[in-house]
Amino acid sequence: MRHRRFPWFSYLVVILGGVAMVMPFLDMLMSSFKGAGEYGVIPYQFLPKSFGLDNYREAFSQLELGRLFRNSVIVTVSVTVSVLVTSSMAGYALAKLRFRGRSVIFRFILATMMLPPFLLLIPTFLIMLNWPLAGGNDILGRGGDGGLTTSLLALILPFTVSGFGIFLMRQFMVSLPDEMLEAAKIDGANQWQTWRLIVLPQTKPVAITLGLITFIGMWNEYIWTLLISSSDPSLQTLPVGIQLLQSFLDPDRTMPIVMAGLVISTLPVLVVFLLFQKYYVRGVVLSGLK
Amino acid sequence: MTTAVQVRAAPMAAARRPRLHREGRAAYLFLAPSLLFFCVFLILPFIFAVVLAFSDWGGFDLGTIQWAGVKNFSDVLSFDGAFVKPILVNTLLFAFGSVLMATAGSVLVAYCIDQLRFQGFWRVLYFLPVVATVVAIGNVWKMMYQPAGLINGILNKLGVNSIGFLSDASYALPSVTVVHAWASIGGAVLILTAGLKAIPDMYYEAAEVDGANSWHMFWKITLPLLRPSLLFVLITQFIGGLQSFALIIVMTGDGGPVNATNVAAFEMYQQAFKFGAWGTASAMAMVLFVVIFVITLLQLWIARRRGEETS
Repeated sequence: MRHRRFPWFSYLVVILGGVAMVMPFLDMLMSSFKGAGEYGVIPYQFLPKSFGLDNYREAFSQLELGRLFRNSVIVTVSVTVSVLVTSSMAGYALAKLRFRGRSVIFRFILATMMLPPFLLLIPTFLIMLNWPLAGGNDILGRGGDGGLTTSLLALILPFTVSGFGIFLMRQFMVSLPDEMLEAAKIDGANQWQTWRLIVLPQTKPVAITLGLITFIGMWNEYIWTLLISSSDPSLQTLPVGIQLLQSFLDPDRTMPIVMAGLVISTLPVLVVFLLFQKYYVRGVVLSGLK
Repeated sequence: MTTAVQVRAAPMAAARRPRLHREGRAAYLFLAPSLLFFCVFLILPFIFAVVLAFSDWGGFDLGTIQWAGVKNFSDVLSFDGAFVKPILVNTLLFAFGSVLMATAGSVLVAYCIDQLRFQGFWRVLYFLPVVATVVAIGNVWKMMYQPAGLINGILNKLGVNSIGFLSDASYALPSVTVVHAWASIGGAVLILTAGLKAIPDMYYEAAEVDGANSWHMFWKITLPLLRPSLLFVLITQFIGGLQSFALIIVMTGDGGPVNATNVAAFEMYQQAFKFGAWGTASAMAMVLFVVIFVITLLQLWIARRRGEETS
C-alpha cells in the first residue's frame, strides 16, 4: 500500500511542485540572454530571441566579476579550511579525551548554536571597528580609521569557528573505536600525532559534509558582507557586488546583466553541490535527527 | 578479597593520574582556538549587545556611552512607534505564513516522493533553492513578480489583470512570504523523507489487512510517527523565519512599500547601520530574541502536551 504499482497522484504532485521549483531558475537562465528591448516588455516572452553572450561579456566588464570572484574564493576557502581544522580539533578533544570540564564545554558548544546571528550583528561590527592595533587603532582600539573593517579579514574572522561543526565532528568521532587510539598510544604517538595521523583520515566523510555545508553557506553569505563592504567596495563578494550593480544602471538593461552574473556565480556551487550532494543531504539529515 | 582489589587498584590509579593530567592539557590545547573564538566573537558581543540595549549611544566613541535604563525598550515597545505594529506583526505573519506553507508543502511532497522511484533526483530538485544565493532567489522572483514578468504573463494569458505583487501594499508581504516558503521547502523535504524512511513497513501492512485506505494511513500512521521530524522542521523553520531579512532587502530594498514588508531584524539593521541608533537597535534585537525564545518554548510545550494526549 505504501508502494503502489503506479502512484499517479504522487507523480502529479511531485512533478507540478518540481516545475515550480525549477521554473525560477529557468527564467533566470532565459532572461540572462535577453537583449535590449526584450526584457520588461508586455506580453511576457519566456524565450530570448537569441542565445548570444553579450550580457555575460557585459557582466564581466560592468561588474568586475574577476575581482568579486577572487574575493569570494579567498573568503570561502579560508573559512572552510579554518572551520574544518578547528572543528576536528575541538571535536576530537570532546569525543576522545578525558578532562575536567568536558561536559560543561560540550553543553556550552550546544548553547552557542542557539544564539541567533542577528543578535550579534551590531556588537560584532563595533568590535571589528574598534579592533586593537588594526587600521590605525591604538592598543585600546581607539583613534583609527575603520579598524579591521577595511580588510578581507573582517569577512573571514567572525566565521572561522562553527559550533555546529564542532558538534558534528564530535558526534562522528565518538563512534571511532577506542582500541585504535590505544594502539597508536602504545606505539608512542602523542595526542597531536594521534589526531593528525589516526583520527583525521577516519573523519573524511563527515569532513566532506561539513566542508560542503560551510563552503555553500559562505559562498552565499550576504548580510555581513553587505555591511562590511558598504564603506569599502573593494571587499565585495559575488552576491553583494551583483546586487549593488542595479543601483546605477538603466533597470531594463540591468536585470538581464544581473541575471548573467547570477548564472555565473551560481554555477560553481551548483556543480560542487551536484558532485557531492550525497554528503550534503546526509549533513542536513544528521543535524536534524540528533 | 577487598584487600586484593585495593592492592590491584592502587597502582593503576597512580599510573592513570599523570596520564589524565597530560590528557587534560592536550584537550585544552585542542580546544584553545575554538574557545578563544567564542570568547571574542560570542561571549563578548553578547555582553556588549545586552549593555547596548540599556544604553544611549550614537557615533563610535566608546567614551560617550551612557546608561539609559529601560528607555530603549519603552521607546521600541510603545504603540506610537512602528516597531510593534506593523513591524513585529509583519515578522510574525511572515514567519507563520512561510512555515505553514513550507511545512504543509514539504509533508505532501515528502510523502509523495517516498512512493516514487529516483527519490534522490526529486529531493535534489526541491533542494536547489537552498544552494542558490539569496541574491539570485530574490532577484529572480522580483523579476517574475513584475508587471512584465513570468507570473503576470501567465495571469494575463488566463485573462486576469496584472497584479502589483511587490508594489501593492496589500500584496507585498504575502508575495515575499511565498518566496521564503518556496526557498525553505527543500531542507524540510530532506528531513521529512528521512523521517518517513524510519517508519516500518509492517505498520502499513497491518493497516492494509485491517482495510484502511491510504487517507486513513496518512492521518493515523504517517503523521503521528513523523512527529519528531515534523517538530524539528517546525521549530527550525520558525526560528529561521523570525530572523530572516536578507530576502526582504534584496526584493524590496527598504521594507516598502511604506513598511509593508518591514520585519524586526531588518528594522534593527536599519536603525543601527542607517541611523547609528545602537541602543534602539539593540533593544529591538533583544525583543526579537525573546519572541523567538518564547515561540520555541511554546512549540515544545504544545508538542509535549499533544504527545501525552495521544499516548
